[in-house]
Amino acid sequence: MAATTRREFLKVAGAAATVGAVGFPAVARGQAKPGVPSDPVKIGVLAIRAGIAAPVGQAGLRGTEWWVERVNKAGGILGRPVQLVVEEESTPKDTVERYRKLILQDKVEVVIGGISTGVTLALGPVAEEMEVPWLSWDGTTQKGVEETMPNPKWAFRSVDNEVEAIVAGQLTPKYFKGIKTVAGIGNDYSYGHDCWETYQAVLKRYIPDVKFVLELFPKLGVTDFTSHIAAIQQAKPDLLMCSFWSGDATIIMKQAAAVGLFKGMKGVFTTAGGVHDSLKKEFTPEGLLLGYNTMYFDDPKGSPLLKQFVREYKAKYNEYPAYECDHAYFDIESYRVAVEKAYATTKKWPSKAEVVKALEGIEVDSLSGKRSWRADHVQMCNFYQGVTTHKNGYDFVTIDPIEVVSTKTAMKPAGAKLIEWINGWKI
Amino acid sequence: MGGVFHAAILFLVAAGLQLVFGVQKIFNLACGSCYALGAYTGISAVAFFTGHGGSPALFVIPLALGGLAAGLVGLVVERGLLRFVYDRDETFQLLLTFALVLMLEDLIRLTWGTAPATTGGLYLAYGQVRLLGAAVPVYNLIVIAASLAIALGMGFMLTRTAFGRIIRAAADNREMAEALGVDMRSVYARVFTLGTMLGTLGGALVIPATAAMSEMGIELIVEAFAVVVIGGLGSMRGAFLGALVVGVLRSMAISVYPELEMLLIYLIVIAVLLWRPRGLFGAPAA
Repeated sequence: MAATTRREFLKVAGAAATVGAVGFPAVARGQAKPGVPSDPVKIGVLAIRAGIAAPVGQAGLRGTEWWVERVNKAGGILGRPVQLVVEEESTPKDTVERYRKLILQDKVEVVIGGISTGVTLALGPVAEEMEVPWLSWDGTTQKGVEETMPNPKWAFRSVDNEVEAIVAGQLTPKYFKGIKTVAGIGNDYSYGHDCWETYQAVLKRYIPDVKFVLELFPKLGVTDFTSHIAAIQQAKPDLLMCSFWSGDATIIMKQAAAVGLFKGMKGVFTTAGGVHDSLKKEFTPEGLLLGYNTMYFDDPKGSPLLKQFVREYKAKYNEYPAYECDHAYFDIESYRVAVEKAYATTKKWPSKAEVVKALEGIEVDSLSGKRSWRADHVQMCNFYQGVTTHKNGYDFVTIDPIEVVSTKTAMKPAGAKLIEWINGWKI
Repeated sequence: MGGVFHAAILFLVAAGLQLVFGVQKIFNLACGSCYALGAYTGISAVAFFTGHGGSPALFVIPLALGGLAAGLVGLVVERGLLRFVYDRDETFQLLLTFALVLMLEDLIRLTWGTAPATTGGLYLAYGQVRLLGAAVPVYNLIVIAASLAIALGMGFMLTRTAFGRIIRAAADNREMAEALGVDMRSVYARVFTLGTMLGTLGGALVIPATAAMSEMGIELIVEAFAVVVIGGLGSMRGAFLGALVVGVLRSMAISVYPELEMLLIYLIVIAVLLWRPRGLFGAPAA
């Protein structure tokens, strides 16, 4: 009962926030193009708002709202203003119900969002059944490292979960020479286990005699890693691989610094760029390999769009944006471009099936640069990783050099089996 | 050693839980949320202190004061909410404290946002020493000492002072204490505030070593339950021993066989429930 009350509260709060930020009174009413209805186009958004992943959900929502503000100011999509209907992503069961509600009750044209693979694994089949396009921010339809929906019609999924482990595995031998023993720590759920399994498979290809001496899987939400760090010290590996992506990345970094863990040991943090601005210089050493997923806020080669976004994000929230903003921006921007592409031939507002057709293979400008949808509905983009440095104007670490790796080389091709694919690489 | 630091924090939260249960017979589910609230308040207090030119070496003072100040929320909760349900069924009291868990979590999110918050690198301000062949941050030792001092202080207060005697009398027999002229309203308000303060102080003290997240209380409350079951509901000595058992064994399990980490704690809980259902120091049934 308490859960329902809170959900109601969040729903009202979410709706209020949406109207406040992007409601129509503020919208410059564009002139709808011929053959296009003038009422607002409703877009459903699923965002995590509570728990460990709340900052990630918030970043996605902020990226989406920034996009809506810009697009509505410029007249909307084909002259139709955009209206967001925000719902909470929580458990698979509840999220599926809200997904149905968005389609049946709110009558949205498209649903965007979904972060937890536990949830999106359940959303995929529902999207197919409801026949409304769904563009996932960060969630896949993978079970472990296996794809469960090779050829969906309506579901569009995020990059494979293990891409950053693959990129980190490829970069490890480049930056750290003579690694013989490796320990791993990750969260005790599929992302943590899959990343570790994949990282080991990739590293073995480059360093065939590498030994994996310890693996630790504390459960998600643990805030004390002193005992884990002591165990890592005892195992004396040359390198520690860590796939934490939330506040636990900050915590382990700090507790490691307190005992000088990285004085004699290399470190690979595949995903800690998710909380990059909490990795303060005081406790985050230089020389670690650090992954930022698909967007690096401080990219000197970044587009003017990225620079404007980072500037305005900092001004509004006093934080520097992380990758989820980019997944979210890409999804909603690709929807806009697809609608306009379909309109160019049909000369009327396209049907949902026509939008899906236009989305397949489409490439658009996202915050991080060009991103696209593969024909089998998986995001294609670049991953940013690099070596931590203190030489910057912030109080947290950044990376230099910056490695940019495309999913064309770091993600299994459509239909391939992950480990078989890795073992088939020519190195 | 890491285990002892964890145990020190766990003891503070569990002691707050025990004190409140002992006197008011309310099982305060919100003690984990108070722990989180103390953590965030501590961070804000330290940020304010260093922002106004305070020396980083003295950061523990605003940290502890911030944590204690957050405990005043206990007074508001007791006077504003809890006192209306003392005569109700225990289920109502549990539901109310559970509602508090949800409200405090949202309150924290509204005030401090969802991103993890930290006190930066102050944790390392006191350096580290080598103890039994391992590097131990000096800050950990300060917290362990503070927690021990609080344990001794609580023991002294409960056994040697007038207020302690009243608390024990009230815990023993509320009607009799009231008949003898003890103002139970004031005792309840003070006990609940004190219990909350122990939790918020624990949250504030742990935070330099970690980062605050709005759901950090949920994680801790599970362990606090284990402490209470092992030690015995309502017993201070039980909280002390239980915290030590949980903290140290968890740490040992991770070094020896990581898969056992939480399982080991529950195995002990089950063993205690089977052979000594009232816990190691639990009061015998009347």
